[in-house]
Amino acid sequence: MSALRLLWQAVRLQAALSRRSPEHALVLLIAPMQTTTLLALTLAAHRADVVANAVLAPGLIGLWVASLDYAGRIVTEDRWAGRFAALIAAPVPFGLVVAGRVATVVLVGTAAFAESWLVAALGFGRPLTVAEPGTFAIAVAVTCLAAIGTATLLSAVFVVSRARDVLQNSLGYPFYILGGILVPVAALPGWLHPFSRVVFLSWSADLLRGAVHGDTRGWPWAVLAVLALSAASMAAGLWLTRRYVDRTRREGTVGFS
Amino acid sequence: MEPAVHTRGLRRTYTRRRRATVVALDDLTLTVAQNEIHGLLGPNGAGKTTLVEILSTVLLPSAGTARVLGRDVVADAGAVRSLVGLVLGGDRGLYDRLTARRNLLFWGALYRLDGRTARARADALLERVGLGDRAGDPVEGFSRGMRQRLHLARGLLHEPRVLFLDEPTSGLDPVAAAAFRGLVRDLRAEGRTFLLATHDMDEAAALCDRVTLIDRGRMLLTGDPASAGRFLGDGECVDLDDPGPALTGPLELLPGVTGVEHRDGGALRVHTAGRDATRRVLAWLLDRDVLTARRGRPTLEEVYLRAIGDRGMRV
Repeated sequence: MSALRLLWQAVRLQAALSRRSPEHALVLLIAPMQTTTLLALTLAAHRADVVANAVLAPGLIGLWVASLDYAGRIVTEDRWAGRFAALIAAPVPFGLVVAGRVATVVLVGTAAFAESWLVAALGFGRPLTVAEPGTFAIAVAVTCLAAIGTATLLSAVFVVSRARDVLQNSLGYPFYILGGILVPVAALPGWLHPFSRVVFLSWSADLLRGAVHGDTRGWPWAVLAVLALSAASMAAGLWLTRRYVDRTRREGTVGFS
Repeated sequence: MEPAVHTRGLRRTYTRRRRATVVALDDLTLTVAQNEIHGLLGPNGAGKTTLVEILSTVLLPSAGTARVLGRDVVADAGAVRSLVGLVLGGDRGLYDRLTARRNLLFWGALYRLDGRTARARADALLERVGLGDRAGDPVEGFSRGMRQRLHLARGLLHEPRVLFLDEPTSGLDPVAAAAFRGLVRDLRAEGRTFLLATHDMDEAAALCDRVTLIDRGRMLLTGDPASAGRFLGDGECVDLDDPGPALTGPLELLPGVTGVEHRDGGALRVHTAGRDATRRVLAWLLDRDVLTARRGRPTLEEVYLRAIGDRGMRV
């Protein structure tokens, strides 16, 4: 069976699991409330120029929450549920199974973008018009790929780490800032910029906002940056997952949870 | 024909806190022929699960070699994984929120089955393990016994030639356990080999062609269950149904009698030093019109208890 077919089966498994896991829909309940808050603040301040920020931010937050909170837990949950031994006894790479499942969870998170747009359009009568729809679609696609790569890496990091809960709880807000989700990276202190540029969200946020405003100078480089970060995080995630599996086999901790 | 399983000098150690080393398997050499049902007996912590995990490639040995159908479990782990099925007992290990069928379809994909084959085999196996009517139900509503059956179905999905079962009938009611044994026999008739780790002596005696008793990682004995009593020497026994107190005292004094054991319902088991002593006991009983005595050898359970010793709850 090809790697793609295995990935597809993992996607189907996670889709079935997510349908029966109401907590996975929580991000879709929160996104409209976040949009409402941010849009209300923006409009009250008479800042029509940053309406795009208020509408796009909940979508990016939804994507990050799905990656961090749900996708990041996949390997850990397999361990707790006693499935890990049987999974690594199968003749296929465990990392690919994780990546396929992560992809499903992340794609569910992208629905937050549509929700935010609907809240702005129906709730506030402010439909967000996209000046460059083609670039916008490309930006969404590469952002999803990068989120999948990052979530695969996070799932490996969390299972390796002994401080999973601490990490999971503390990686929210810093990435909203470094990712330029709430305010553009350009508005952050200069010394933060180098850190910000290794977070795919910073490139994605700039790309999405640029596509909305019709200001996408140098967008191919931004797309390449997101793709490069996506590939790097996916490669690191698969490598770390493999190393983790090898370590548990070597140390005899497969059955531990 | 190459053996289904062959280990030579297999050793596995764990390093725990404060760098203390625990030996889980120690110089274990074992051969299981193809198409054999081999029982792996031993108390908790004996090393049974460690052996099963090494043979199914989820654990690396510290030293020695292990081969399954001629393939090394370390150097050729990918090939071994396709040849073996792993059935771990217990409540866990399944996707509880999914249906039994959906669970099997996912595991089928992990063993590179195409969709059509996976669906056909999943349905057939669910029928075979008695879950056909519950195929569309989420596993979270299943009893422990039903989960055990689903574990077995999962282990069989890719039609492995060698199956490793760890406490497979734990939690099954007697009827289901008997049905499970029937299923194992049927599968053996199809040419499969079983390595069965169990605490259930009756199950091992009824099902296994050979058994291996291990304790603290070392092999104590290996052989067919009926002759496992030889482990205790040439000793035999004579069973009596309620012989009454008048006979019990003199029996203990007969030459060659090594012990008298009182059992439930007034029954008695007389342990003898061997064949000649058994003959003397039977003749002595016959002279006293006792016609219901039966000659036997120690059961597998007695061998187990004598070999493992009076360890109680300690592991």
